[in-house]
Amino acid sequence: MKPRPKSPGWNVLGLLPAQLIMLLTLIIPVGIIVLVSFSTRGPYGGFDFVFTTAPYKQILFNEGWTGELEFNPQYLIVVGRTLVLSLVTTAICTVLSFPVAYFISLQRASVKMMLIYLVTLPFWVSMIVRVYSWIIILGNDGVIAKALRALGLVDNMGSLLFTDTAMLVGLVYSYIPLMILPVFASIEKLDSALVEASHDLYGSRLTTLRRVILPLCKPGMMAGAILVFVPCLGAVLEPTLLGGGKTMMMGNLIQLQFGAARNWPLGAAISIVLMSAVLIFLMWRGLQAVRREGREGDV
Amino acid sequence: MSIRTRIAALAAASAMGLLATVSAHAEGTLSIYAWADSISPDMVAKFEKETGIKVTVDAFSSNEDLLTKLQAGSSGYDIVTPSQHFVKIMVDSGLLEDIGASSMPAFQQILPEWQKQWWDPTGNYSVPLAFGNAGFTVNRDLYNGPVDSWKVYFEPSAELKGKIASLAQPDEVIPAAENYLGIPYCSEDPKEMKRVLDLLQAQKPFVAAYSSDNIENRVGSGEVAMHFWWDGNTMRLRRNDKANVEYAMPKEGLVGWLDSYVVPKGAANLENAQKFINFMTQLDNATEQYNYYGHSSPVKVDHDKALYNKENAPELFPTVPVKMGQACSPAAQELVTKVWTQLLQ
Repeated sequence: MKPRPKSPGWNVLGLLPAQLIMLLTLIIPVGIIVLVSFSTRGPYGGFDFVFTTAPYKQILFNEGWTGELEFNPQYLIVVGRTLVLSLVTTAICTVLSFPVAYFISLQRASVKMMLIYLVTLPFWVSMIVRVYSWIIILGNDGVIAKALRALGLVDNMGSLLFTDTAMLVGLVYSYIPLMILPVFASIEKLDSALVEASHDLYGSRLTTLRRVILPLCKPGMMAGAILVFVPCLGAVLEPTLLGGGKTMMMGNLIQLQFGAARNWPLGAAISIVLMSAVLIFLMWRGLQAVRREGREGDV
Repeated sequence: MSIRTRIAALAAASAMGLLATVSAHAEGTLSIYAWADSISPDMVAKFEKETGIKVTVDAFSSNEDLLTKLQAGSSGYDIVTPSQHFVKIMVDSGLLEDIGASSMPAFQQILPEWQKQWWDPTGNYSVPLAFGNAGFTVNRDLYNGPVDSWKVYFEPSAELKGKIASLAQPDEVIPAAENYLGIPYCSEDPKEMKRVLDLLQAQKPFVAAYSSDNIENRVGSGEVAMHFWWDGNTMRLRRNDKANVEYAMPKEGLVGWLDSYVVPKGAANLENAQKFINFMTQLDNATEQYNYYGHSSPVKVDHDKALYNKENAPELFPTVPVKMGQACSPAAQELVTKVWTQLLQ
């Protein structure tokens, strides 16, 4: 049988739908945002296509209360808070999801299916509703406050709601399924022979966990960390509903620029900076992974 | 990735907006975008029954959201209901359709003091829907002190720590602070606005939340003792839910607002929009709407059928000055934003 001549055109054509979707939903909208970020703001919001780099300068420099241009860290403070909260959320999610994922992986196949289904169940409910339910749980007359009072543990505690802790609880709750699933996948792939080998070599339970299981689950944790960290950077609901709107994260800052501040170009510029930061971070991680694989390949 | 998702959502939303505009060309529909729970569902049903026009009502929760939506283009709505200063901004920015309101039957129903005001001097763009003011509401189970000054709200006593709530937008909070400090609205003087910031920053440790949602629960259930709020909403919470709340009458002045029916530029169902506005301002319907919404009516109502009067609804009849919110110049708005950003940074 003669091999059919390959038509190279099909490779390109077959991918066309994907490329079209990327173009329509990613490249063009991002292009518009870049364009807006270099435009002049309209007097009442909106923008005019007059090129300026002012929005980017505004991120760092602002007119002070006395009128002179001064270095203004107000936006950097918001960026810093966002990074810290996202990192802490990612860390908590990692620590919490490992035992959960491990527990699930130890169950019978049918139970396992059920538990995985339960982990994904919250995604069927609107994010707003899920975050909102924490208001009921954490509120003054909420489940936690009532339970603690009934048990006589506290008589009058301060509100749990509208604190940074509430915000963190909300963030962890919202994004933890995105950590559990990849960690679960990597635990499932774990070769039980390796664990047994570790025990045979007199590795204690802790040593086995530390030297065998965790390193093998690391790729899943890294994938989960990215899935949790990145959406955290853009969180809007948790600071608004659970943090009581008292402190802003970057999402709120961007929203403020498009809303009350009527400064679309600045909002677009902050979005671009946020997006660039995420891209650089992901590319750095990607490069690291490629290098590591290269190294391991040499061995 | 979340930014990407949001952009994708934006693109999808605009695509849907496009579709909505196309489909809305069909005869007999009307899309309204109004403040949450501001239009009587009974009146909408009655209008649908009388005219056969299918009405959809969506809700917004801030003037800023509405303005942004109109500026983004093709909102797909036929009627929106901004407050007075945003009517002016929208007229000035060419975002509204000239519906010749001053020659519509609805115009004859408008009380003389609300006709052709500064936000719509020709009276061609807007027909008022309701008016009221912004102040603060106290829960009398938790706070027994006086409520005759903004001082108790902006410079609260120690026991109110964490028991005060404000709004998520600076639009009415800053004018209230300006009333208290004796600073004119929309000040372009940075020194004056710095005083506003200092006041709000000193108040912040007492504030549990800056939120415009779910206010009735927060103040009604006693989660907070004081909440920045509106007159009619307080009245409804007190009357309908029997909450022990009182609307303050600060001597420095309340912040006035008036919401109007306007038609966004390029609305698909302009005639239906006019029909609806005329319908809602007819004496009986306007009375029903007034009884439902519980904010003062700028159009004539039948006083025999109206539910509220000075005795049973003192919230609607302020005994202190009410100063209408203004449309700030870009320079003044910049200072407002600066105050708000630094307050919440």
